[in-house]
Amino acid sequence: MADQASERKFRILVCIDGTEESYRGASFAAEFGPEHDICLCYVRPMDHGLRSGGLNVRIARENMLNWGLELPGITYLKKGRDVLIAHGAMGDDWKEEATHVDVEGDPLGDNKIEYTDKTGKKIILKLKVAFNVPSGILEQTEVAHYDLIILGASERWRRGKTKSFWDPAVAEKVVDHAPCSVLVARELDAVRGHLICSDGSEHANAAIERNLFLASHGNAPVSILAVSPDVEGEAAAAGHLAKLKSIFDAKRITIKNSYTRIGDPVEQILEVGADYSVIVVAESGKTPWARFFSSSVSQDIMQTAPNSVMIVR
Amino acid sequence: MAEVTTNSGRTVRVIAITMKSIGFYVWQRRWFFIAMGVGAIMMALPPPDGLSQKGMTVLTMSVVATILFVTEPVPLPTVALLIVVGQVILLGLDSTSVATSLMNDSVLFIMGSLMLAVAVVKQKLDKRLAFFIVRMTGTKTSRICIGISAVSGILASFIGEHTVAAMMLPVGLTLITLTSDDPRQVRRLAAVILFSISYGCSIAGIGTPSGGARNAIMIGYWREFFYDPANPDTYKFLIDYVTWMAYAYPMFLLQLPFVTLILLHTFRPEHRDLSRAVVKLRAQIQEEGGMTTRGWATIVLFFLVLLGWIFGSDALGLGTIAVLGAAAFLVAGLVNWEDMNSGVNWGVVLLYAAVISLGVQMKETGAAKWVAEGFIAMLSPFGADQGIGLWVAVSALTTAVTNTMSNGAAVAVLGPLVLNLADIAGESPLLIGFITAVSSAFAYLTVVGTPACTIVYASGYLKTSDFLVVGWRMVLMSTAILLVAASVYWPLLGT
Repeated sequence: MADQASERKFRILVCIDGTEESYRGASFAAEFGPEHDICLCYVRPMDHGLRSGGLNVRIARENMLNWGLELPGITYLKKGRDVLIAHGAMGDDWKEEATHVDVEGDPLGDNKIEYTDKTGKKIILKLKVAFNVPSGILEQTEVAHYDLIILGASERWRRGKTKSFWDPAVAEKVVDHAPCSVLVARELDAVRGHLICSDGSEHANAAIERNLFLASHGNAPVSILAVSPDVEGEAAAAGHLAKLKSIFDAKRITIKNSYTRIGDPVEQILEVGADYSVIVVAESGKTPWARFFSSSVSQDIMQTAPNSVMIVR
Repeated sequence: MAEVTTNSGRTVRVIAITMKSIGFYVWQRRWFFIAMGVGAIMMALPPPDGLSQKGMTVLTMSVVATILFVTEPVPLPTVALLIVVGQVILLGLDSTSVATSLMNDSVLFIMGSLMLAVAVVKQKLDKRLAFFIVRMTGTKTSRICIGISAVSGILASFIGEHTVAAMMLPVGLTLITLTSDDPRQVRRLAAVILFSISYGCSIAGIGTPSGGARNAIMIGYWREFFYDPANPDTYKFLIDYVTWMAYAYPMFLLQLPFVTLILLHTFRPEHRDLSRAVVKLRAQIQEEGGMTTRGWATIVLFFLVLLGWIFGSDALGLGTIAVLGAAAFLVAGLVNWEDMNSGVNWGVVLLYAAVISLGVQMKETGAAKWVAEGFIAMLSPFGADQGIGLWVAVSALTTAVTNTMSNGAAVAVLGPLVLNLADIAGESPLLIGFITAVSSAFAYLTVVGTPACTIVYASGYLKTSDFLVVGWRMVLMSTAILLVAASVYWPLLGT
C-alpha cells in the first residue's frame, strides 16, 4: 500500500467553464511543478428535452459541427490546453489518445483526450456529461483519484444561508462533497504567497501536514496565522502557531511571516489574508446539517473572502 | 507511515461512506421528496369549502407536478408517468380511460410537428438561409440583426421555434467566429446576433398553431372545455389555423422591429459592420453549390403541409395533417426513421399528453374553478378581477410561470385555471386564452423559458445574466403590445 501510494502521481483536476478565472486556475496548476498530472474538465449538464420544446439539442449541436464549428466545451478545453503549453507544463510532441465513453441518456457521452510525455506525465482534456455541473465534477473524482480540485468561485454563493443550503453554488457543492483538497479561485495568482491558518486542532494540523505541498504551492512564499477569540487564549494561539511552524520547519519550508491575532477568527483571517494570493484553511469536518445550524470558519471564509481560498483535507 | 485499520474501524468507515452516499442521493433528489411531502400533507388535509375530495386530489397532483416541473429533481417524463399512475390509483379512474385521455389531436399535432422539425433541420437548408439573409441585408450589423430576426421569426411562426433556432444557430455562430476567433472581442456582437435568433423565434412562436406546442395545447383546452357539438354558440371555440393566425400573427409583426432596437440599445455591439465575416460566409456558402433537389422537395412538402393546416384542419384536424406530413417526409426518403427517432424527445410528448389529461381532470373535478375563484377573490381588492386589470394579472402570472419552466408546460399547467377564471369573471375564454398563450412567449428572462433560448444558450457564448439584462425590456415591450392588441384589435375579431 505504502509503495503504491508513493508511486501514485500527484493529480490536479482543473474545472474549465470558459471564464478567465478557470484559465487562471489552469495557469496555477501548471505552476505547481513539472511532474504532476493535470486534468482539465468541462462539465456539460445533460439536455432536458422539455426546455428545447421536445426537439433534442443535439440536433443543433450536429448542425454546428456540420458548419465546422466547435462545441463550446471543446473550445474552452483547447484554450485551457494552450494555457498549459504557454506555461511549459505540456509540449507539442506528446502522444495523443482519444477515448469515448457512452453515457446513458446522452448520445454525446464523455469524451477524453489524453496527452502523455516520455516520462509518463499526463495532461487530460475531459468533456463530461452529467446531471448537473457539481455532480459531474464530483463524479470525476470518483473515476480517478485527485489530490486537488481547482474551480472558479461563483457570486451566487454569497446569498443567505437558507438559500445557499437548498441551492448552493457549484463551488460550494464541490467543496462540501469533494474527497480531496479544493481551491476556490478568485483573482487567482501565485505572486503574493499563501497564508496558512490553523486553529491548532489535531484535525487541522494533520490536514495541513498532509497537504504541505499544496499549502506552499511549490515555491510560493508561505505565512502562517493563528487566531485567539479573546486575550486569555492568546498564549494558546501562540502555541498553535509554534506547532504549525514546527511542521513547516520539519519539511524545511521557510516561513515568511507569522501572525497571532485576537478577535473573530473569520474577520481576522480575512483581514490578514487580504494581502495574500491564497488563504489556506483546513476543512472543519462538520456535516452540511451541522454547518447550517452552527457556522463553520472555513465555510464562512470561503463565502466571504475576496481572494482565493484553499480547503485542505 | 503504516496505517493500522481494525475490522470495527473498517465497518465504521463503510457505514460513514454509505451514509454520505445516501445523504448525497437524498440531497440531489431533495425537491422530489419535498414535492411528495407537500402532496402527502395536502392529501391528509380535509378539502376546503367548495372543493370536492377528488378536486383536492387533482389539485394536489397539479401542485406536486408543478414543483417537479420547476425544480426538475427527476427526469421530466417521470412526472408524466406519475400523473398517469396517480389518476388511476388516487382518482380511481379506469386505466383504459386514462390511457385514452393521453392521446388527442393536440398531442398528435405536437408529435407530428416535432417529427417535421427534425425532417426539415436534417435537409441542411441553413446555408441557403444564411445566403438569403446576407444577400438581403448587406453588411451592416444592425441590418443583419433585423434580417436574422425577421427570417427566424417568419420561419419559426410556421415550422416551430426550436426548428429555426437549431438551423440558425450555426449561421449566427459563423458570423461571430468569422468576425473574431477571440470571444472577448465579439462578446456584445455575439449577444446581439444570438438573441436576434432566439427572440425572433420566441415572438414568432405564437404566430400560428404550428409555432409551438403551447398553441396546440390551448386549442385543445378550448375544445375540451367549451365546445359542445349540440350547441352552435360554442363552435367559435374550435380554433382553426387561419383563425389563430388572425389573432396572433399581427402581434409577432408588431414586436419584430422592437427586438432589434432593444438588442442594439442594450448590448451596443463592438462591430458596426461585418463586411469581413459576410465576405467569408458568402465564399463558404458558394462552395456548397446551388439548391439541391432534396432542398426543393423539402420546401414543396412543407408548403403542402402548411396548405393542409390552413385548408384541411377543420376536416382532418391539425394533428392528422402534421403526422401525414411527417409520413410524407419518410416516404420521400428525405429523412430516415433513426434520425427522427433520435431527434425527437418522446418523453416530452408523453409529458404534454399527461399534463393535458390532468388539466382536463382539473376542470372536471371542479379544482380549476375553485382555484380560479380564489384567484379572482385575491385580485378583487386591487380592482383586477375583470377587464384590463385581469388581463394584466393573467399576463403577469403566465410570464412569471413561463420563465421558470418551458412555455408549453406553462400553458398546460395554467390553461385550466385561466379559462375557468375567464368564465367566472365574465370575460371571453378566447381572449383570456390568447393572453395566456401569447404571454407564455415572454420567457425572455431565463435560459429555460423558451426552446429557442435554450438552444442558443448551448452555443456557450451567452451568460445567464445576459437574459436578465435584456429580458425585462423585452417583457415590458411585449406586454404593452399584447394589451394594445387585446383592447383594440381582438375585439374587432369578435372575442
